[in-house]
Amino acid sequence: MSTDILTISEAAALIKAGKLSPVELTEMCLSRVKAFEPELHAFVTLTEDRARADAKKAEAQIKASGPTSPLHGIPIGLKDIIDTKGILTTCQSAHNIGNIPDTDATCAAALDAAGTVLMGKLTTHEFADGGPSFDLPWPPSRNPWNTQRFTAGSSSGTGAAVAAGLVLGGLGTDTGGSIRGPAALCGIVGLKPTYGLVSRAGVAPAAYSLDHIGPMAWTTEDCALMLQALAGHDPADPASANRAVPDYTAGLGKGAKGLKVGVLSRWHETDRPVAPAVKAGIDAAIAAYDSLGAEIVEIKLSAMHEYNAAGFFISTVERGAAYERMMLKNPEKFGQRYRDRLVFAALCTGMDYVQALRRRRELIAEMAAAMAGVDVLLTAGNPDEAPPIDQVPRWDNLDKPNFTMAFNLTGMPAICVPAGFGPNGLPISIQLAARPFAEAMLLRAAHAFEQATAWRDRRPDMLGLAKAA
Amino acid sequence: MSETISTEAFQVLLDRAGISVSPANMEEMRSAYMMLQAMRERVRQPRGYDAEPAHIFAPAGR
Repeated sequence: MSTDILTISEAAALIKAGKLSPVELTEMCLSRVKAFEPELHAFVTLTEDRARADAKKAEAQIKASGPTSPLHGIPIGLKDIIDTKGILTTCQSAHNIGNIPDTDATCAAALDAAGTVLMGKLTTHEFADGGPSFDLPWPPSRNPWNTQRFTAGSSSGTGAAVAAGLVLGGLGTDTGGSIRGPAALCGIVGLKPTYGLVSRAGVAPAAYSLDHIGPMAWTTEDCALMLQALAGHDPADPASANRAVPDYTAGLGKGAKGLKVGVLSRWHETDRPVAPAVKAGIDAAIAAYDSLGAEIVEIKLSAMHEYNAAGFFISTVERGAAYERMMLKNPEKFGQRYRDRLVFAALCTGMDYVQALRRRRELIAEMAAAMAGVDVLLTAGNPDEAPPIDQVPRWDNLDKPNFTMAFNLTGMPAICVPAGFGPNGLPISIQLAARPFAEAMLLRAAHAFEQATAWRDRRPDMLGLAKAA
Repeated sequence: MSETISTEAFQVLLDRAGISVSPANMEEMRSAYMMLQAMRERVRQPRGYDAEPAHIFAPAGR
């Protein structure tokens, strides 16, 4: 069997043309799961029987009347904080051992309705926070580019599974960068949509006003295809926006000519200077946009620390509120890292929280004003290549600002796109952000950059082992 | 540079929340608390009336 890994759009074209069956495609993915999962730990629960049943059902439907969507018959995975009817949903926590939901989360149901093949539930940090933990019932996921390296988190299993081709796409959640971080370190594309665009109903909260659900896939086009199935109003989510859903693929292929790209140099040069390879990737991206006919302008915002400070108090206190009862009743069931995060919630006051909300109001206004004059903002996705998994700082949310939280705080859509490799052969990334609900523009700009580079042609070396075998 | 919290003050906050931590863990968290203080100083600044965390009924587009 070939170990070539298809993108969603490539597989969809072959399925539509009758040259590939969902059953065959699913077996390809399952064979890679068998080969690499023992090293990657990307799955909490592999739903092999469900995947084969979904694939057979899709195959029969497609034979009878053709595919109903580009996702019909496509193997995907879901981060294990997303409820799935009749399937263990652990949040990677001893608190949830044996938790089998009665219903699907809205986002899971949307992908099911689009005809996807559910391969399983993917590794996360405990309740989507805290970092790689070795004291939980399941091990942390490993990076396919080097299994001694961190995937970032908390959508760590989704990042690893997509990069290794165990699934063609997956869902992550993002409260401070949990889609974009793993995308950056695993060398894939991760899109955090606008707050309210994708329903959070049926997804375990991390921090209510910062939580987002979004697609992770090999290409921007694949993310667009997934977002098309996910976006839309859901009365079950109090934050869900009720507005028309545009065609997210409409701008793909239109290039970047005439776009205005705002560069947030201060963030990656001064506030948190990035590694030389990341800086080179950003500079190459700026040059690529310039050569594609985009206008490059410098954008000045408050220090990244300001966005992170407000985000820290909001996320910490909202997380504490969400899991207070568990913390008071059975704190020993949490892993050390997550338990420490909950302890910090006790150290924050109500006044801290309100002042952070007030600061958020100012920072949203500031960023909205800056974005009014550009189509996308550009900065780093992550400051460096993936660190060794056993050297991830315990207080990384306190120590230095990250490049992703600002867009959780403001709710604006942001995407991480591969931008090369560092000296250790590991992926580096750029991050683009856009105005609220401007995902079509964001995807267009990301796609233009992606098409101008060859970074999508390279997969993790470990996959070559299967060919040799 | 912000100062970290005293053991006694730290214990008061934990007691208020009904949470207990081991002595060793408390020392580590006390040292990390200094970073929290630095962020607190950023958010707890005087702000204008327009920074009110207002809620909105039936916002346009929803």
